[in-house]
Amino acid sequence: MTIDRSQIGDKVVLHVAGRMDAESAAYFEAQCESCIAEGITSLVIDLADLSYVSSMGLRSFVAIAQKLKSKGGELRICRLTGLARQVFEITRLNQVFPLYDSVESAVIGS
Amino acid sequence: MPGTPQSLTLTAKPESLGPVTEFIRKGAREANLPELHVRQLELLIEEILVNIWRYAYPAGASGTVMVTYSVPRPGEMDLEVGDHGMEFDPLTAAPPDLTLDLSRRPVGGLGVHLLRSFARSLNYRRQQGWNRLSFGISANP
Repeated sequence: MTIDRSQIGDKVVLHVAGRMDAESAAYFEAQCESCIAEGITSLVIDLADLSYVSSMGLRSFVAIAQKLKSKGGELRICRLTGLARQVFEITRLNQVFPLYDSVESAVIGS
Repeated sequence: MPGTPQSLTLTAKPESLGPVTEFIRKGAREANLPELHVRQLELLIEEILVNIWRYAYPAGASGTVMVTYSVPRPGEMDLEVGDHGMEFDPLTAAPPDLTLDLSRRPVGGLGVHLLRSFARSLNYRRQQGWNRLSFGISANP
């Protein structure tokens, strides 16, 4: 899994690519934690190139989203595709997180 | 020969996920499974192995895990994952409440739900000290 960080306006965007599984989910969580430690309260996660996510990855999404929410922010997810989209739909996490079709709309939040 | 079962036995530890995934990918190629089904299969195997590390061999107990697959016909695979750890039937887990909002959602508890959603003919049995979880995956209508 690779994570590239960029900034659009006042929003930090993490582009997550590859596989989020039992081995790599902790790395994703650590990257998000380090953003939170910098004082960032809202994150945009671009999953266009995430080919795989298991329940271990879902744990990380829920844990980080709850932390951001407790600080008054939120986790915005965009460009879900393939297995990742299926997994979010089956677990109804697509109704828990704000999901967006593009990075731009996630940054704006509409 | 089509349908001949293939087995891999490894130490039950997180580092075994990679070799097991490679092993079942070989079967998926034999079955000519589409890419999305291959990923679903990888997810099923990961969810089962994570449960084995957590519940069958808790507190660092060592043990083995055996993965067997066969290809009954193109587009389909039958699999069985066995371990000889503590008796654990993941199918007895209570279904998660998927209607909860973010603040009330537990972190975790979705693995078995994914297992039930993607696997066909999911079946658990305890046999001569082994947990045996069998299931199928099919790309056929």
